[in-house]
Amino acid sequence: MTLSYEETERLAIQRMELNRRIKAVLIERLGLDMSLDHLTDDQSLFGRGLGLDSIDALELVVGVEDMFNVSIYDGDMEVFGSVNKLADYIIDQLGGVPVL
Amino acid sequence: MRTVLSADEIRQLLPHRWPFLLLDRVIELDPGKAATGIKNVSVNEPYFQGHFPHEYIMPGVLIVEALAQLTAIVYCQGVLSEIAATSTSSQLETPVGPLVGKFDAKEPDVSDIQISSLVGYLVAIKAMKFKRPAVPGDQLVLKSRILSTFGILSQVSVTAHIRSEIAAEGVLIVSQRPANEGA
Repeated sequence: MTLSYEETERLAIQRMELNRRIKAVLIERLGLDMSLDHLTDDQSLFGRGLGLDSIDALELVVGVEDMFNVSIYDGDMEVFGSVNKLADYIIDQLGGVPVL
Repeated sequence: MRTVLSADEIRQLLPHRWPFLLLDRVIELDPGKAATGIKNVSVNEPYFQGHFPHEYIMPGVLIVEALAQLTAIVYCQGVLSEIAATSTSSQLETPVGPLVGKFDAKEPDVSDIQISSLVGYLVAIKAMKFKRPAVPGDQLVLKSRILSTFGILSQVSVTAHIRSEIAAEGVLIVSQRPANEGA
């Protein structure tokens, strides 16, 4: 399947928007004292990255469910690796980039 | 008032004892999901001695504790009904659920299970409002509903009513006891 330039651009913009929305969920749900721009797409969220813990993970599970209607299950811990991994998971579950 | 679990039955399920068993009765129960319970506040409660010498008020944190204990009942009963479900579908070689493996799944005898050893811990008090003080003579009607579970943590919506008034409401996070710490 070959995408036209316009389609590729549209998908890229949708993807960026999705990532921004995930960051907004992260910041709001976890009460992070930082702006969207300081949270990068590939920054590690747990451990040495943002230093999130398992309580934050539960918070994110609820946040993602509310915002995107996507469930995250016990075995899916790796989706919290980064904003991009979470975005990939959401796209995978929804079968496409959610149109915002 | 219906009794789903009496104080004697609650004692079988919770590890808490006097003066810290803060649940008198369970009147509604949906195992693993939700429950309603009763805590009667008496002037003889030991904490009234100091809280306060000139005005009896049940500490808000103890209302939270009562709600957490009710939540432990919801969880324990959920595990028990899971065990009952796996025993009826005996064709399953390996029963589902991480906790079930500890027990003899082929002959599950609920009386043999130290269910109180499964009770975990209060992990977070996410949001809690205390809208009305609880004083001697009040009956707290406690409600707990599991909102979402991830791993061993669950987010729980809780309320405590005194008659038609909300005394306390909020969201707790509780944990199951980690598997390696079991009895």
